Amino acid sequence: MENTVSHALAILEEPVQYVALSFMALMYAIKIRGLLKKPFPPEKAELKGDRVSGALLSLTNVLRPWDMESTSKHLFFYTEFIIFHVAVALTIGSTFFIPLTPWLMTPTVSAVIMVFMGLAFLIGLRRIYRRLTVPEIKIISSPDDYFAIILMTAFFAVGFVTMYLWIEGKPETGFMWIFFLMTTFFLLYVPFSKISHYVLYPFGRVNYGMIFGGRGVLNKSKKDITWDPKIS
Amino acid sequence: MSDIQEKLGAPEEETAAPEKLGAAEERKWPFKSEYTPEMLAEMEKLLPGKLNRVVATSLAGCIHCGMCSDACHYSVSIPEDKTLVPAYKADRFRKWYKSRYDWMGRIFPSFVGAQPLTKELAEEMYDKLFGGCTMCRRCTYNCPMGVDYGMMVRAARGIMQQVGRCPANLQETVDTHYNHGNNMAVPQDEFIETIEWIEEELQDEDGCANFTIPVDKKGAQYFLTLNPREPKYYPLTIQATAKVLNAAGISFTISSRYWDLTNYALFNGNDADAKLFAMWQSEDVQRLGCEYLLSGECGHGYRALRWELPNWVGGVPFKITSVMELMALLIEQGKLKLDKSVWAGKRFTYHDSCNIARSGGILDEPRTVIRAAVDDFVEMEHNKERSFCCGGGGGALAMPEFSPRRIAAGKIKGDEIRATGANVVLQSCHNCTDQLKEIVDHYHIDAKVMNLAELVAPTLVL
Repeated sequence: MENTVSHALAILEEPVQYVALSFMALMYAIKIRGLLKKPFPPEKAELKGDRVSGALLSLTNVLRPWDMESTSKHLFFYTEFIIFHVAVALTIGSTFFIPLTPWLMTPTVSAVIMVFMGLAFLIGLRRIYRRLTVPEIKIISSPDDYFAIILMTAFFAVGFVTMYLWIEGKPETGFMWIFFLMTTFFLLYVPFSKISHYVLYPFGRVNYGMIFGGRGVLNKSKKDITWDPKIS
Repeated sequence: MSDIQEKLGAPEEETAAPEKLGAAEERKWPFKSEYTPEMLAEMEKLLPGKLNRVVATSLAGCIHCGMCSDACHYSVSIPEDKTLVPAYKADRFRKWYKSRYDWMGRIFPSFVGAQPLTKELAEEMYDKLFGGCTMCRRCTYNCPMGVDYGMMVRAARGIMQQVGRCPANLQETVDTHYNHGNNMAVPQDEFIETIEWIEEELQDEDGCANFTIPVDKKGAQYFLTLNPREPKYYPLTIQATAKVLNAAGISFTISSRYWDLTNYALFNGNDADAKLFAMWQSEDVQRLGCEYLLSGECGHGYRALRWELPNWVGGVPFKITSVMELMALLIEQGKLKLDKSVWAGKRFTYHDSCNIARSGGILDEPRTVIRAAVDDFVEMEHNKERSFCCGGGGGALAMPEFSPRRIAAGKIKGDEIRATGANVVLQSCHNCTDQLKEIVDHYHIDAKVMNLAELVAPTLVL
């Protein structure tokens, strides 16, 4: 199967996306520069643990649900979180694979992506419901929170149908147009929305890992202790 | 004479007359019962200076996932009040931040929950960040994004305090420290007399005739610091600590000057005061030429000395440790022999002070001490870095206007203590001591509260 698209859709899939992507990258660069310009709190105390390994542990704790009570106590929620974010990566990825490496988008690969999109759509619906009904979530939610999850859920729904049609050998459909228009909108909008949290994630995790790693709280089994009490 | 000594007008050598400790000129920080437009304008000026990378990331990084809601002792113990969820509380500060620094927040503030600083928002900040958060960092520990609530809340408190909006009693505690060199205004001569009296009491104990509590002993290895509650209300804890150190043959001293290990400026967010108190102590350790600054059993005091002091004063030429760590080391090295039969028939549990465990890294040492001293030790459901705050942290005990909420927030800790069936709740912090005593009383739990030195001292085989 070889899917081909019209010149107009090709323009939306490539040059338009590249412009939007460049804009997003520029916005992120400004954001990151702003954070890096701010001083990190100094650490002149003798360490009880290694700050670098603390930062690495902290960065990768997303893969260890048992590390945090908030994930170990809510494994179903955690599983949803993983599926949702894998789906995000695959969906964004597919917007590059479709125009750039369509041969990669075999029916099997497309079906896998489609399944993740479908699951993420259902998870998105559940998250919307949760945000609307759970009092402690509702009270902290802003319109941006609702808009972001509704947008993502709609994106997954459109992506799911688009992928289905792609597998059926129908590359140029109204859904494909909507899918790429949404992608373009995302690239332009995300830097201003909470969806850009993934840019802040490494900062938050590294900050946390550096502080608590240095104090020997995180990396208890791998201490690089400079503190050496002596008794005369 | 050092710069600090010159600044404070303190003599280089001890004299017979009591010294004027603390700052040369006394002060009373202005107290404001409500915000004025001028105060809000001043707060706007102060905000940028508080935004280090951790605070800025924490303000920008919350995704409102709500995972912090069951991490906080306030929201867990008082589930009917949803405004005690950590994300909600922090949002009182975050709304203001977003109105100034978030791109979308500046154009469409209500869309991202941004809000310019108003009197109402500032009052909410005051209520939630002074009276609804102990900066225990349990939510930080459970935050997928690594939002550091402790550092963020301290920054907000610091801004409010600067304009005079700080709980009066908390500010008075800091002012007392500033004016007198310790937070309970214990005069130097009275302090020395108390220590001498405790020393006599110690020497009256069996096998302790030669034990001493040296004051201002130059060249001692350990510079022991105390919580002012000890000479004022709990002298037996000083006696217990001194007994343990003497039994192990530790060379230690207590200063007649800056012996107070507390630093309530950690709680009200005033960096200048925090640095000043830290410098007094740092100078005093160097005056006596001690190798170690030894923190007594005090949660925030330990953290302030061990982890913050070196940063506040720009590094120190001595080492910093704690009685908890030292006792564990002495037991491991066989320098303390303990008789477990003293506590036979009693069940013990241990409450980890947030500043000692989660923010301090002392996790296993207390267990080493306890297991050497007793046979029946039961952990609470949440322990070590996962321990719930007792509710007495963050200066909460110095804010009587929030006491009902503080006691209510201690329910989860009370439930966990009760579940262990322990007769004795051990801890290493004086704020925890007072809060735990109130909790066991309020929730009708049949348990005593005791610190580690009090546990070890009676079991010593001398």
